[in-house]
Amino acid sequence: MKELSIKDFFDICRQRFVLSIVTDALPDDKKIVEPHIHRPGLALSGFFDRFPHQRVQLLGETEVNYLQTLPEDVLYERLEEMMTMNIPCFVVSKGLSVPNQMDFIANEKNIPIIVSRLSTEKLFWGLARFLHDYFAPDQSVHGTLVEVFGVGVLLTGRSGIGKSECALELIERKHRLITDDVVRLKLQEDRLFGFSTKDIGHFMEIRGVGIIDVERMFGIEAIRKESRVDIQVELMPWRENMDYERIGLTNQHTEHLGIEIPCIYLPVSPGKNVSVIIEVIAMNHILKTYGYDGAEAMQRKLAEEMQQKARQRTINTHNN
Amino acid sequence: MIKKKIIVQNKLGLHARPSALLVKLANQFRSEFHIRKDDMTINGKSILGVMMLAAEYLSEIELIVDGVDEEYLLEEIEKLFEQQFGE
Repeated sequence: MKELSIKDFFDICRQRFVLSIVTDALPDDKKIVEPHIHRPGLALSGFFDRFPHQRVQLLGETEVNYLQTLPEDVLYERLEEMMTMNIPCFVVSKGLSVPNQMDFIANEKNIPIIVSRLSTEKLFWGLARFLHDYFAPDQSVHGTLVEVFGVGVLLTGRSGIGKSECALELIERKHRLITDDVVRLKLQEDRLFGFSTKDIGHFMEIRGVGIIDVERMFGIEAIRKESRVDIQVELMPWRENMDYERIGLTNQHTEHLGIEIPCIYLPVSPGKNVSVIIEVIAMNHILKTYGYDGAEAMQRKLAEEMQQKARQRTINTHNN
Repeated sequence: MIKKKIIVQNKLGLHARPSALLVKLANQFRSEFHIRKDDMTINGKSILGVMMLAAEYLSEIELIVDGVDEEYLLEEIEKLFEQQFGE
């Protein structure tokens, strides 16, 4: 199971959510262990039977105002009880200040209070999205990810089939490389995205040459840090009598992290210009997304023609 | 070379799916394979050509096979037409 230390959380989100720390310091051992956010209104009013204490606790204007209405002894008792549990942190919106007692107990129990300048609504959705993405499952695949005409194409196939060489040709044709060899796939807002496993730059191995730096060689326009993964192209060696797709009326799919994407099995042979075909695949994907399927259109036109001719034939036979 | 005339029995004619089956089959043989309909002759090993024929229900086409395994090829193709491409 993934976890996120409060220190890392603060560092990553400091600018995005305009955060500052109210309590003395950020403890080393506090961790966020699940992507959900809780607004502890009921717990503050004394109902602790179902208090998901392991979640990030978000306090908005309502909660803070409510705390201010409580008599001091009740307030102390409630907060004390609440903070005996292992809460990862409190996040307060709108730059509001919490009662002094809360600050005091939090320091004592080593639970950080973090304040954001954002409105409760913005902070809630922002945090939810951030945590959802952070805790989203990921997976590494052997392949090369390129962006062709804005379409994320994942090239796969056995080692040495020519994925990198194909990507290189695509870069030459002004498309972009995301990562070569290992692609880290991740769900973001229920869409499949691909990244490099390490943020060390865009290197690539070309057989016979060695490692090259794509960004240095081709410039910043040749690379991207991440891209959606829209379609997979599996390169495979050309074999006689193999059943390759001829029409394109049946669409094959493959699955990553529970998301289905179209998959094309592309036979390659020496001298075949794979990169141009990848461009065609990308453009065809765009057309299909816009609702136009070339194979279907041709099929429809021919079917109409054949129907008409068949009708004509029946009429002629009748007349004779 | 063998030539043989045949009537298309498929209600929908030689549309995309049957065309694909035909082409796949033909490509397993070494013989040349052509189809003639009216004044149009196409290569039976190319999908686009076969589809362009637009051979409708009850139309007559001529199968032209030429090569070392022409008899087997013709036999298999005829079988495919007899079975109406499994439709």
